[in-house]
Amino acid sequence: MRKNTARLAALALASAMVLTACGGSSSQNTGSNDGGNTDAGNTSAIKDLVTYEAPIREQEGFFILNTEKAADLNVLCNMYSPLLEVDANGQLRAAVAKEWGTEDGGLTWTFKLRDDVKWVDINGNEKADCTAQDWITAMEWILNFHKNGGNNASMPLALIEGAEDYYNYTKDLPEAEAKALDTSKMLEMVGIEAPDDYTLVYHCTTNAPYFDTVMTSACMYPISQGLIDELGVDGMIGMTNENMWYNGPYFETTFTMNNEKILTKNDSYWDKDATLFDTVTIRMVDATQQYQLWQNGELDNISLSEADLRTIYDDENNKDHAYLAETRPKKFSYQMHLNYAKNNEDGTPDTNWNTAVANEAFRLSLYYGLDLTKYWSRSNFINPLHNENVCYTMKGLLKYSDGRDYTDKVQELLGMSESDGEHMRRYDKEKAEAYKKQAIEELTAQGVTFPIQIDYYIVSGDQNALDTQTIMKQIFSECLGDDYVNFNIKTFVSSVTKEVIQPGIHSYYISGWGADYGDPANFLDQERYGYDGAYYSKNYSRINQATDENLIATYKEFSDMVEKAGEICDDMDQRYDAFAEAEAYMLEHALTIPVQYETQWQLTKVNDYTKMNAMYGAQNYTYKNWETSTTPYTTEQYEAFAAEAK
Amino acid sequence: MTKYTIKRLLQSLVTVLVVATIVFLLMRMLPTDYYFTEDQVMKLTEEQKNDQLLAAGLLDPIGQQLLRFYGQLLHFDFGVSRRIQTGAPVLKVIGTKFAISMRLGCTALVIALIIGVFLGVMQARHKDRIFDHIGTAYTIFVNAVPPLVSYSLVLAFGAHVLNLPTLYSTRNVGKSSILPIVCLALASIAHYALWTRRYMVDELNKDYIKLARIKGMAFKDIMVKHVLKNAFVPLVQYIPASFLMTISGSLLAERFFSVPGMGPLLTDAITRYDLNVVQTLVIIYAALGVLGVFLGDVLMMLLDPRIKLADKGGSR
Repeated sequence: MRKNTARLAALALASAMVLTACGGSSSQNTGSNDGGNTDAGNTSAIKDLVTYEAPIREQEGFFILNTEKAADLNVLCNMYSPLLEVDANGQLRAAVAKEWGTEDGGLTWTFKLRDDVKWVDINGNEKADCTAQDWITAMEWILNFHKNGGNNASMPLALIEGAEDYYNYTKDLPEAEAKALDTSKMLEMVGIEAPDDYTLVYHCTTNAPYFDTVMTSACMYPISQGLIDELGVDGMIGMTNENMWYNGPYFETTFTMNNEKILTKNDSYWDKDATLFDTVTIRMVDATQQYQLWQNGELDNISLSEADLRTIYDDENNKDHAYLAETRPKKFSYQMHLNYAKNNEDGTPDTNWNTAVANEAFRLSLYYGLDLTKYWSRSNFINPLHNENVCYTMKGLLKYSDGRDYTDKVQELLGMSESDGEHMRRYDKEKAEAYKKQAIEELTAQGVTFPIQIDYYIVSGDQNALDTQTIMKQIFSECLGDDYVNFNIKTFVSSVTKEVIQPGIHSYYISGWGADYGDPANFLDQERYGYDGAYYSKNYSRINQATDENLIATYKEFSDMVEKAGEICDDMDQRYDAFAEAEAYMLEHALTIPVQYETQWQLTKVNDYTKMNAMYGAQNYTYKNWETSTTPYTTEQYEAFAAEAK
Repeated sequence: MTKYTIKRLLQSLVTVLVVATIVFLLMRMLPTDYYFTEDQVMKLTEEQKNDQLLAAGLLDPIGQQLLRFYGQLLHFDFGVSRRIQTGAPVLKVIGTKFAISMRLGCTALVIALIIGVFLGVMQARHKDRIFDHIGTAYTIFVNAVPPLVSYSLVLAFGAHVLNLPTLYSTRNVGKSSILPIVCLALASIAHYALWTRRYMVDELNKDYIKLARIKGMAFKDIMVKHVLKNAFVPLVQYIPASFLMTISGSLLAERFFSVPGMGPLLTDAITRYDLNVVQTLVIIYAALGVLGVFLGDVLMMLLDPRIKLADKGGSR
């Protein structure tokens, strides 16, 4: 029997070896702290970065013109080169375009291109020169309905002369005919031209002094006609990392869905001065696994959950205690978008809520009465006020000519003082009480019953969301009283848009806007009344379906202010002043209520303050010129980086 | 036998076709908004949405859509993925994952069969003694403890004691496959041990075994030639299905170890409304299920000539 045991064990082992050996090579994949990836020239820099992405944010496509998903663009921005890119302070700098400008207040923009940019395949074989024609080919693709299905078209349609006409023209053509179009018809109809191979000219529909910042968006990236010829029009959408052409800093040499992506340095990349990693491995890792992987040395940076952060922060002897680093705010400004035309779940109007939310005193009681400090502590309990957001537009998006931040102006107009680092600035108990009293009087007269029911929806089964909204429920209860409002946490199954926002069953929804380009209009346009492109007021606030005349009048006033601000094109400071006034007006009337910025804590070997960091566009995840260390940065080092950046 | 086989195969085909039709019709009953991403639903105008639906043929009469679907099935054209991997043929999306799941699953199954059957034999042979109690304790532990807990224990042991990678990696397939395989095998070992022990104990109590013992036949021979062989017959019918269903992967283990296999694909496709992928996966799983049962029957019949499936009119 003992022999049989040995035979069986040997058979099991052999089977395991045979079957597992079928998969490929056996080289080790680890994080950088195994010491195996230090540069001979710079021993403190990581050469092979291992970072992470959440499993639900898997890359779905490789064609940058066809996708608007952040999860795709965060990877693709490393494989394509734009005309312009941003630096660590969010300022535009030359990329493929070495010079650019406008001489007529933003109506016509000219870009002079480098002549040393090459398209290469995944093996580094040169395929074609990258010229102005590639931006024209890309524009034709974007505007051709049958080629791109309208994806990424909204900005070109709004900004480029003749774009809408060409889009409609292609839409009316039979599919095969539209797909067979080259760029000649588009050049006749659309305001884009290439006087020579390395000069590109755009003609805008109206003065767009911010048009150069649009170049950081996916819709303004190039594509080669040679690649279209190679893959065929129908093969473009389904292109893969293996058959696409690259002109960016990296190749995507491995794409294993739901597991990892490996980006490898492109040696023919035009920016020879750029600091690039040899490889970047992006592993799909659930938040609950990140700290374990960090401890095993399998990741070079992780974000910390509240529980892990508390464990490390509360124990001074914890080996990671000295390495806690606070992230920079992400580019999203989160707002409480009030629903002015709420429905009950059975589809009937929720008259009680709709009457209440149309009342300005009620809105202002929420605006002044909610102390959100505990809410911010969910992601940053060490410095919760670093998440404090008092404006609609994201801070850091724009600067006046004297370097002053646009949001400082909005705060000045709102009468906000400097933060003391301890108290939420907007919270004013006395004002809130006064508005609450006024709202109760006015609304009771209108037949509203109290407490007013507030429905907030989270995805079912998401414990983190439930914990966060349980805190929000506590805040409503403690700050405004259960006799006034009752906060209900409700759930949807999988699609907030289709199950909650479209049927309009939410009282409010918290959502963050990240700008597409560098102008206040990109934020404030989202709240305009009766404007088709107003993403939030149309879909989330449903203002176009509201009936209260005072509310509509307030919205119209705000919208007029935004429109007028948009007409100022010759003096950017004046333009920003006018937008700031509109924004302050919107907030003073609590049409939306600012909620938070997004900061959290991390353990990292990457200096975030060296990354591209614009509050618009799709480039912040480009792994270019990152300063790294083979040992984690300490808290003190990160504080010094932050102080220097200020 | 041949007649029976052909009959069963035809029945299987009809079953798969019925499943395919039902899935297709269910998918078409979803509101057309599910064709669009969350962003598209908000940003596209009704006219733009309509144009896209028209271009995709989703506004055609349902009968016309169904006939087109059958035509595509005949050519093994399952369409392209719209969410999981935009524009990629569904079979390509599945193909890359299928091999990984099957490799890990089959390895785990082979290990589980060998260890599980061996454990069951040993438990039966040493019934009510210490080895049997240990085996029973293992079986109860595996079945009672939630898989996530047992996986975490395996992960902690593997990572901290054996220094094994905790996530599957395409660059280190061998070592990074060990922990997922162990986790996949854990439950199957308990399953095979439990049923092998049970069937063998049943057999050991039968008269023909007692007769063999009285006749002086060696206990080892009795165990291997009679008891194990007969006890294995009821187990064997599930083996083909188990092997085939390794293709479907394990949702939990694959998610836990970041294995890029088939396990999470169906749920991903459903939550992201990638209808072509959902349709194809359901058809494949239905086909595998039907084929597994069929092969199990055939295998059982080959092992035990007393079983005449055809005589029963094709049903067991």
